[in-house]
Amino acid sequence: MSNKRIRIDRFYQFMTYSAASIAVIILSMIIIFVISNGSGLLNFGLVVNDYHAKFYNGGIDNNITFSQTERPESLTSEIYYSEKWGIGLIEEENREGNTIISVEYIDIDSPLRNMRDKNNDNNSLSLSEGSIVSSIKFYDKNSALTIHGAEHMINELDTSDDFREIVYSSLGGGVRGSIITTLYIIGLTLLIALPIGIFTAIYINEFAKKNRVTSLIRSMIEVLTGVPSIIFGLMGLAVFVPLTVKYTQADSANLLSGSLTLAVILLPIIIRSTEESLKVVPDDFRTASLALGANHTQTTFKVVLPSALPGIMTATLLAIGRIIGESAALIFAIGTAIKDDISIFGKSTTLSVHIWSLMTDEPANIELASTIAIIILIIVLVLNLIVKLIAKRFTKNFG
Amino acid sequence: MELLKKNPFRDKFNSKKEAIDYFVRTFFMISAIISSSFIIIIVVFIAKEGIKPFITDNNGIGSVNLFSFITGKVWLEGTAFLSNLYGVGFIIINTLYISFFALLISMPIGVLTALFIAKIAPKKIAEFLRTVVELLAAIPSIVYGLFGSGIILVFVYNFAKIFGIQSKGGNSVLATVLVLALMILPTITALSEVAIRSVRSEIEHGSLALGATKTQTNFKIVLLSAKSGIFTAAILGVGRALGEATAVSLVAGNARSGPSFGFFETTSTLTSTMLQGLKETVGIDYDIRFSVGLVLMVVILLTNLMLNFAKKRVGNINVK
Repeated sequence: MSNKRIRIDRFYQFMTYSAASIAVIILSMIIIFVISNGSGLLNFGLVVNDYHAKFYNGGIDNNITFSQTERPESLTSEIYYSEKWGIGLIEEENREGNTIISVEYIDIDSPLRNMRDKNNDNNSLSLSEGSIVSSIKFYDKNSALTIHGAEHMINELDTSDDFREIVYSSLGGGVRGSIITTLYIIGLTLLIALPIGIFTAIYINEFAKKNRVTSLIRSMIEVLTGVPSIIFGLMGLAVFVPLTVKYTQADSANLLSGSLTLAVILLPIIIRSTEESLKVVPDDFRTASLALGANHTQTTFKVVLPSALPGIMTATLLAIGRIIGESAALIFAIGTAIKDDISIFGKSTTLSVHIWSLMTDEPANIELASTIAIIILIIVLVLNLIVKLIAKRFTKNFG
Repeated sequence: MELLKKNPFRDKFNSKKEAIDYFVRTFFMISAIISSSFIIIIVVFIAKEGIKPFITDNNGIGSVNLFSFITGKVWLEGTAFLSNLYGVGFIIINTLYISFFALLISMPIGVLTALFIAKIAPKKIAEFLRTVVELLAAIPSIVYGLFGSGIILVFVYNFAKIFGIQSKGGNSVLATVLVLALMILPTITALSEVAIRSVRSEIEHGSLALGATKTQTNFKIVLLSAKSGIFTAAILGVGRALGEATAVSLVAGNARSGPSFGFFETTSTLTSTMLQGLKETVGIDYDIRFSVGLVLMVVILLTNLMLNFAKKRVGNINVK
């Protein structure tokens, strides 16, 4: 072998090495990017909080008893505390990166725990820990606002005996609504797609004659896999949205129309996966069962289908992954309005569409979007690894 | 006995079991018919909605001219909901242009990776890389879009600065091409690997016996023998690139006129146009989305037909 040949070979080899490393680099870059941007906001509160902050306007009565509790020792030095009102405030950053003043501590005797609702006199309000104070308006001096800082707000409070109004809100930016929507959609979609998909696969593989009609049915289902998801979205908008509006209480795009659209997207995946697992069940099983006097139905449900269960499980897991990741179709079929109160007949967003909504806002909220992406990535990657495990462990060798 | 004789099923079926079989079979057949009818529903309904702007007068605005729609260089002249001067000609060209470059980047990387996994890498590394490719394929497109607008846009913006070009925050042809290239890479790699692995070992052995080195065999014999399968991978890659929506819409920049050939110009694809301004649910600006969807379906169909025709011309070496 000439030296020149060796050099050329090495060069070609090197090309394949570097090409292969690109895939690894891309995957690690995506994961590092998402984690480095999103991990700052990842906490339990994000998962249980509402997206839209609720605002309250609280007022106090004239004859109040002040708290006069000494500063508790557990409070750190960053917390500004008012003995008179029994409240500790701290400056923080919210999920959009703006400075906010939040209530870190509030005493049991604090008068702020028993306020009037300025918008509805019959209601009473209680300021709780974790609330965001946006302003306190006084009768005889300027309002204390967030931009003046927590220290200023505490000082102003300490030097007055009453105030006109305190405006505070819950911490928004949470994804609870989108998580619930995603779970609803997963449940509804599987409820629709799994039976139809599995029955279709059984029909094609077990019952149908091997003729042109069957192969036509099969190729018509196969074509669906090549249709881009945005086209499914248009179909959902043109077919399922009017359908659900007509027959249910919904009045626009809703979770049901979204689930129906997703079910159509998933059908070919479920059918193919089920069919493949049905195919590996040897014909001996079927003929033996039929010879023992079982009919076709019994054979299918008691002999063939149990053997195909790992395949159906794989299909279900892949389907869940696809539902969580799907965005283009759902933008049309459910809409992009982020909601906190979820109804099957109302609009809402799944986690993926939530990301899209955040990214198309001005300015885009990359941090929160990345945090949601972490949640999505973890679920999707774990699902895929489980599928791999199932494939390894349950692939029956019927030999 | 009298009752049994009058039972209508007795004439048709010999036993209860057969009757059950018949009903179960019919029930399953209905499922199969439902599943297979969706492709027809998709085509019929999108065509029905998509043709509307061309054949009705759109509440007094006047119908859209099909020829100027297909050849138009500006998305909309005049005000939305008040004008019928829509055009998608430049968007079709943009879409094809972007997909072509995405394939041009992805193809060599994907095929070489596939060759490495199938023929060169030790078993453990091959298994690891296969998992990496599967995971890349499983990442949802919206996450690619997020990655694109967080990393690739910044990269393109700084890259454009080197040439003294002020790009619109990085939103450009180049960014779109790169994001799409990333997204179709796992598809191309996985399918090419299957094609490469199904090359008959006799062909390889023959080449080795004639004195070719392992590398020469891999590049000149194996890849050549697998070209039909690799071509299929390319066809599916292009299909995915043409239909990708959300990721593209985050990095394209949504140019309203074009076509844009410069790598640092903003652009728009058929899919990103469909995702623009989804506020109204009636009127021409809503209906025209279906027309764009219809155009997208036709573009994908034609591209597929052309590529499949080309694949037949490329010919096939018996690989199995």
